[in-house]
Amino acid sequence: MNNYEENKIMAHRQHVKYFMRFLNVLPSSLSSHDTTRVTIAYFAVSGLDILGAISTMTLDLRSRIIEWIYRLQVHPNKENGDMSMCGFQGSSTVNIDLQENNHFRCGHLAMTYTGLCILLALGDDLSRVNRKALVEGVKALQTEEGNFAATLSGCESDMRFVYCAACISYMLDDWSGFNIERATDYIIKSIGYDYGIAQCPELESHGGTTFCALATLSLTDQLDKLSEQQVEGLKRWLLFRQVDGFQGRPNKPVDTCYSFWVGASLKILDTLQYTNYGSNRKYVYETQDTVVGGFSKWPDTCTDPMHTYLGLAGLSLIGESGLLEIEPTLNITKRAYNHLKSVHVKWQNE
Amino acid sequence: MSDSGDSDVAWTYYKDRPEWRDVTPVPEDEGPNFVVVIAHSEKFVDVYDYFRAILQNNEKSERALHLTKDAVELNPANYTVWQYRRDILKSLGTDLTSELEYVEAVIKNSPKNYQVWHHRRVLVEWLQDPSLELELTRDALMQDPKNYHAWQHRQWAIKTFGLYDREMDFVDNLITEDVRNNSAWNQRYFVVNNHLGWSDLNVQKEICYALEKIKFIKNNESAWNYLRGVLLHDKRSISGNAVVISFCEELYKNKCRSPYLLAFIIDICDEAIKKGETSCLHNATRAVELCQALAGKYDKIRSKYWNYLCEKFKKSQQEEENNKDTENNITEQI
Ligand SMILES: [Zn+2]
Repeated sequence: MNNYEENKIMAHRQHVKYFMRFLNVLPSSLSSHDTTRVTIAYFAVSGLDILGAISTMTLDLRSRIIEWIYRLQVHPNKENGDMSMCGFQGSSTVNIDLQENNHFRCGHLAMTYTGLCILLALGDDLSRVNRKALVEGVKALQTEEGNFAATLSGCESDMRFVYCAACISYMLDDWSGFNIERATDYIIKSIGYDYGIAQCPELESHGGTTFCALATLSLTDQLDKLSEQQVEGLKRWLLFRQVDGFQGRPNKPVDTCYSFWVGASLKILDTLQYTNYGSNRKYVYETQDTVVGGFSKWPDTCTDPMHTYLGLAGLSLIGESGLLEIEPTLNITKRAYNHLKSVHVKWQNE
Repeated sequence: MSDSGDSDVAWTYYKDRPEWRDVTPVPEDEGPNFVVVIAHSEKFVDVYDYFRAILQNNEKSERALHLTKDAVELNPANYTVWQYRRDILKSLGTDLTSELEYVEAVIKNSPKNYQVWHHRRVLVEWLQDPSLELELTRDALMQDPKNYHAWQHRQWAIKTFGLYDREMDFVDNLITEDVRNNSAWNQRYFVVNNHLGWSDLNVQKEICYALEKIKFIKNNESAWNYLRGVLLHDKRSISGNAVVISFCEELYKNKCRSPYLLAFIIDICDEAIKKGETSCLHNATRAVELCQALAGKYDKIRSKYWNYLCEKFKKSQQEEENNKDTENNITEQI
């Protein structure tokens, strides 16, 4: 058997073990992820979901994760009822009573979004989520320009957090914290001369931010705000990202994660079927570690949970067997998405 | 940045420092259930126990400022520490010039970290002094000419403080160094769009610039995309610019079959069809031929896309032929 043939097989069992390890203990070399542990948990849990392995997690583990996420929820200020800092924190680094410095204990949009994804993947009914407070937390972070800052205390604002805010609003079925018109305006201003979309107006078009922008337009039902020329240009720009796998920008190297970012963008535009699945698949498999599990961005480099998750999500988009189907806009499985829909029905009947 | 705490011989833990004896460390409260636990070094745990304590006590002092430095060194991505550091700087009225130097050093070590660039931006806003920003970002771009953070900071500084004067030279050098540097092409567009303006003369100049670079390397998407971008500002748009059209047809005649060239000619045909201004060179039949050539030979990886476009053009082709038939019928009748 040559290398290529060998690599074509999904190391399913190893990937399950790989994610399980990350749910457990991480080495001190990952200290720089200290404030964003929830995103690592999201890659692991949602990755296990794609692998169809949620049921192989013990009930105890599942409930421990759910309790841990809920403990990171920031509740309204007890004295004045202020909800602007509400959301989920990414870890317990500053999960303490802070009195005068209370604004430092605040949610982070990416953690709130990925925290909700975890709860949904684990089948939680979101009954302990303070929906009103989370929506107010989202509202407090939208800027004049229409984009969103990550947190209330000193963070940059850009397209990534527009996307997170849209996902949260969608999942909570409440758009009162998200000014759709202003966000759409920001997205349209961030379309480049090559029709790709950037992190902010006038920056270089980028596969990751294009996904954030397009998924937001889809979740807010605003795709029709793009002109025909913009849609056709965007399709062309995205399709040209395919080399064998996908790159994030013209003349940049191919990277496993763009099989999802660009693939999902194309899926949203109903254009993924015009890509070459075989080459895409072959590239992603070249970045698979068949021994200890995981995917890396390039062949023969270090694997990480993000590229492992996005590699699997990218393969799922093109119908790889043995993987659950993915809902491209929210970046969760169809299974978790259907669960969300049932939660929405319950809320509507309340 | 790696946590080298345990190998740091000269390091004294905060808990062992007499000058910190008055502070009670606050351990992280994980609660009864936890997952994704990072096995932090003892140094990390010690520093953050004291960071939580000063945050809780709202202590804004020199020693607290120093502590935040140790904390961000262990994790430069901790946005809370950076924000609290800014609060302390403000409260102490610390000289921000040394802070600029400090953050520059951190950027050199972590050039792809969002928080350090954000810290830099806030400092520049406070000082209202962008005089070091072009050099700082230039240095970062020397290391990695496509560093998105550096470009974002540079564009922000240029736009906010109007630093356009020498930017075109900078861009020119980068494109000369690497004609495939898409970030540099994007910056070129940024400068013309915000500073030089799209006068007829500038549009023609930029078209010539792009064509020259394409002549040099034909299969360069960045230059082709830029050309297309410039033509958005040309009233004649892409199907009406004689210089561009003859350039493309010349390349085609000389056997260039770059997918970007063929795609460009397809777009010329498409626009001509939409405007009802087809010619013997630019019409649906030509577009169909080019789509087939791309699908079958020159851009096989996107063959399904070219086939899909091909079907669209076949419909236009049908219409063109029907029109011809009607015209013929009319002439026959006359
Ligand atoms: Zn990547």
